Amino acid sequence: MADSDKVIGKSIKRIDAFGKVTGQTLYPGDRNQENELWLKILFARRPHARVLDIDTSEAKALPGVMDVLTAEDVPINQYGLQIPDQPVLCGPRSNKKGGDIVRFVGDQVAVVIAENEEIAAKARDLIKVEYGDLPVVSDPEFALSGRAPELHPNVFNNVAEYKQIRKGDPDATWDTCNVIIEGVYQTPLQEHAYLQPEAGTAYVDDEGRITVHCAGQWTWEDQQQIAHALDLPPEKIRVIYDAIGGAFGGREDISVQIALALAVLRTYQRYGNRRPMKIIWTREESMIGHCKRHPMIIYCKWGAKSDGTLLAAETKIISDAGAYMYTSNKVLANAAITCTGPYEIPNVTIDAYVIYTNNVPNGAFRGFGSPQSHFAAEMQMNKLAEKLGKDPVDLRLKNILDGDKLLAVGTTIPGGVSLDTVIRKVAWKSNWTYPGKRGENNPDYPEDLPRFVKGRAFAAGFKNIGFSLGFQENSWAQVELLGKVEIEEAVLRIAGADVGQGHHTVMAQIAAEALDVDLDKITLKVSDTAFTQSSGSASASRLTMLAGNAVKEAAEFALRKWRREDRPAIAEATWLAPKTTPLDPKTGYGVPNFAYGYVAQMAEVTVDTEMGFITVDRVVCADDVGKAINPDQIVGQIEGAIAQAHGYTILEDFRVEKGQVLTPYFNTYLIPGVYDIPKRVESIIIEDPHPDGPYGARGMAEMPYLPYSAVIASAVFDAIGIWYDDFPLTPERVLRGLGKVRSRW
Amino acid sequence: MTYWKNYHLPTSIQEAVNLLTQYNGQARIVGGGTDLILEMQQGRQLPVEALIDPTQIPELNQITKEEGYLVIGAGVTHTQIVADKKIVRYGTCLVESCGVIGGPQVRNVATLAGNVAHALPAGDGTISLLALDGEVQIASDDGLRWTPLGGTFLGPGKSAIDPTRALITRLRFKPTGPNEGPSGEGSAFRRVMRPQGVALPIIGMAVRLKVENDAFVFARITIGPAGPTPFLAEKTMAYLTGKPANKQTFSEAAEVALAEVNLRSSRHRATAEYRIEMIRTQLPKTLAQAVARAKTGKVVPEGVGM
Ligand SMILES: Cc1cc2nc3c(=O)[nH]c(=O)nc-3n(C[C@H](O)[C@H](O)[C@H](O)COP(=O)(O)OP(=O)(O)OC[C@H]3O[C@@H](n4cnc5c(N)ncnc54)[C@H](O)[C@@H]3O)c2cc1C
Repeated sequence: MADSDKVIGKSIKRIDAFGKVTGQTLYPGDRNQENELWLKILFARRPHARVLDIDTSEAKALPGVMDVLTAEDVPINQYGLQIPDQPVLCGPRSNKKGGDIVRFVGDQVAVVIAENEEIAAKARDLIKVEYGDLPVVSDPEFALSGRAPELHPNVFNNVAEYKQIRKGDPDATWDTCNVIIEGVYQTPLQEHAYLQPEAGTAYVDDEGRITVHCAGQWTWEDQQQIAHALDLPPEKIRVIYDAIGGAFGGREDISVQIALALAVLRTYQRYGNRRPMKIIWTREESMIGHCKRHPMIIYCKWGAKSDGTLLAAETKIISDAGAYMYTSNKVLANAAITCTGPYEIPNVTIDAYVIYTNNVPNGAFRGFGSPQSHFAAEMQMNKLAEKLGKDPVDLRLKNILDGDKLLAVGTTIPGGVSLDTVIRKVAWKSNWTYPGKRGENNPDYPEDLPRFVKGRAFAAGFKNIGFSLGFQENSWAQVELLGKVEIEEAVLRIAGADVGQGHHTVMAQIAAEALDVDLDKITLKVSDTAFTQSSGSASASRLTMLAGNAVKEAAEFALRKWRREDRPAIAEATWLAPKTTPLDPKTGYGVPNFAYGYVAQMAEVTVDTEMGFITVDRVVCADDVGKAINPDQIVGQIEGAIAQAHGYTILEDFRVEKGQVLTPYFNTYLIPGVYDIPKRVESIIIEDPHPDGPYGARGMAEMPYLPYSAVIASAVFDAIGIWYDDFPLTPERVLRGLGKVRSRW
Repeated sequence: MTYWKNYHLPTSIQEAVNLLTQYNGQARIVGGGTDLILEMQQGRQLPVEALIDPTQIPELNQITKEEGYLVIGAGVTHTQIVADKKIVRYGTCLVESCGVIGGPQVRNVATLAGNVAHALPAGDGTISLLALDGEVQIASDDGLRWTPLGGTFLGPGKSAIDPTRALITRLRFKPTGPNEGPSGEGSAFRRVMRPQGVALPIIGMAVRLKVENDAFVFARITIGPAGPTPFLAEKTMAYLTGKPANKQTFSEAAEVALAEVNLRSSRHRATAEYRIEMIRTQLPKTLAQAVARAKTGKVVPEGVGM
């Protein structure tokens, strides 16, 4: 059955397409309930302050206002995905120490509950808050310096997390290196800019559960965090995901969920209220209210032999956590593990810090620290190729990791390594030839650049699939087979979030394949903690592989029961991934991950040397997906990742000054439109089966993002002979490199 | 949020004026709403009792030729302007600027009148209409009157035309040539920003000029943002009069312009220095383009329609 590929391997039309295209599908903000009440949140809008006093009397007196909630109304005033370090509401009489401190502009101070949105907004503006401003720490290197105030109790020098990796002895190696490449790379913040801003509805369901409809990435985790803050058992909380308009990591952390549940709880207790609640954040609230991609400064020193063999690397990473932990510790670990690129380097020291500041918190975002580390690593690699006058493709093939070589953490990569394949495929498909040295080392290099100059470059990448570092990865699914003689309907219950990537379609395909039934026999019941357990988060390119295994197993169990004449035949499965380990605190030694994905890219650009604009003419991208369950969706992920990485690399300039966001709208924070993105993307799907993947599938959705910034910056170098070690490559920055503009903002 | 209570679609100018009078300052004119509604949502404009939308008044929904002028009704959208053969030929810079405003959705509803009434220093249509030496027809209690466009700008986003008391009914300019073939007059517009126009421009410039025997008879040059209102580069214009229409003059003109503009660094658009570099490199090209059009009578608008 499995070999025949009846349903998988085909570009089946998305099962959610019709509803979404015709506008029938409800996103959280679309759910209109009879008699609903509206919430508005009062954001602090100051980066660091103590809330001395909150006077809600005027707001409460406004006709149409039911209640105004503050810190003292929160049963356990703290939450957080990794550690509960953020107050639900900042203010006096918080039952958690430090709960009266605002640490970034998007910290929440009060929740207004009113008859409609307009009254709620008016009441919010009537709340009087007395703040005592505290010194603002906005630069992570200053935060680390010992001269900055401590932003969290007992966090010395504001170091939220430190990772140290030691392999071999770089200091003893530098002398034996023929070339040394040093660079300081600076990567920018990025906003997720999903189409649908945060929204949700909430009410008490028939079984007395506080029920929250929203858009997130992990129903089970949302349920846990709401339950914790409300001091209720998780069974009393029900989380349901409506359609989700994009996530990219930005919905991993809580946004509106706790506020909604708290409003339901308190108004029920106080007024016996049973009316449902609703909230929709504005775009501006979304911009300041949820996390961003970590900006990082990465210091690199790499040494190699004259034949290009890498010998040593010394790397320091300074990452800005922003105000709270979110997933900073995990992002940092990922960045550290991949900061030597997809290469074996025998002698490595890595010191990686993520630092608290009063900036908007940074958290999960497609690639999870690896786009930053790959920018540094792949720029280093292309600079090395340039310095040695070697073909960057050959240089990569010489140094890439394979199944036997050791990562910086001292262990090999499990589950197969296809770097050689992806690199060769891209080189072949793009007719890659090495044109020889370019840039300043080349005596023939034109001094007077023409107006439009073309360049091309190469880069590669790899990243873990699934959660790691000792966490026992798991995913749950249930299959119920209905019918008498034949299977008439197969009900598939899963909790993986379809954030727009097409997860539900792929799960339906896997179930149909495993059951050997047509796709239209599959009914999906999804993402409702009342009847689904944990399928894990829609992140780390993990759902197809992990939830896919669970669905396949549950389907196979159910089919066995069906054949034993069980009617209905119900089976569930929790798939457990191979074990991983945390990193040794001194050496970083460990087996942090059980699976990786691989990617290579070639890009061609045209640089307008007069105005500074960069056009990407062509990208060739190969991504090893193990098994393409739905090839069209994979191409969609490759093109989407590249478009998003293009914004990161060229356009998106998130500006923060002293903790205040200067670009909270899309007319100043520019995301790519159809005329901005690469003119052509050629996607190459490689299928090198993963031994632990369902039908061999491995995760893929983050990979095409990873090498993009480096491949573009290197192509720009190829064109105009200038290395840009920071980005976005806005026209202004490009001309600054060319010496035509000198000032900075 | 409710930003207005009533929405009126008058069918005559008189009816629109009557409504304004009736509401006595509590109503406001709206065109495509692409500026106004956003500003209301962002709290930069206060809610009103009523919006009065003149775009359905038949006589304001057309582009005509009258008394030696090309006349554009207040209901005319950017899309209509871009598609109009007369304006393509005789007001090319206007097509080039209206054709890059926003995206197709914006251009399908947004009006040139709204662009002008908004009075931003870098309104694209405004910059070009000012270079064309355009005029505005205003309707109010006092009746209809024409006034030069340049006189309506009071400051950034501040127009002398109060949209709660009066409305723009028409815009007009003298075409750059009455006949087929080279007329000696031409115009061009150029804007520096990302390809897709859903952002504020870094810098825009428009020129209208006349050449005879390879020398400038006159040139009108506008630049924005380069000060609180759309900027007319009068010193550069004076400098060009009588000068030979060649590359060297074009470059010199840019230097003269740089001496008279007031460029600022904006924290999320561009530094003043980048803008200087753009005027230095792009103004000569804009002049050269317009001169070529003036001499050959051949016009193919550039960059329109993304
Ligand atoms: C996504 C997007 C992209 C944009 N890109 C650009 C761009 O590239 N370049 C650019 O210049 N602009 C741009 N704009 C701004 C806007 O679209 C233009 O300025 C447009 O021409 C405004 O016309 P409107 O009819 O929509 O004006 P409205 O929003 O209806 O009105 C604007 C102002 O003018 C007043 N008004 C309107 N009509 C009249 C009238 N007949 N008489 C008196 N007062 C009147 C209104 O009261 C209001 O104060 C963009 C807007 C958006 C939303």
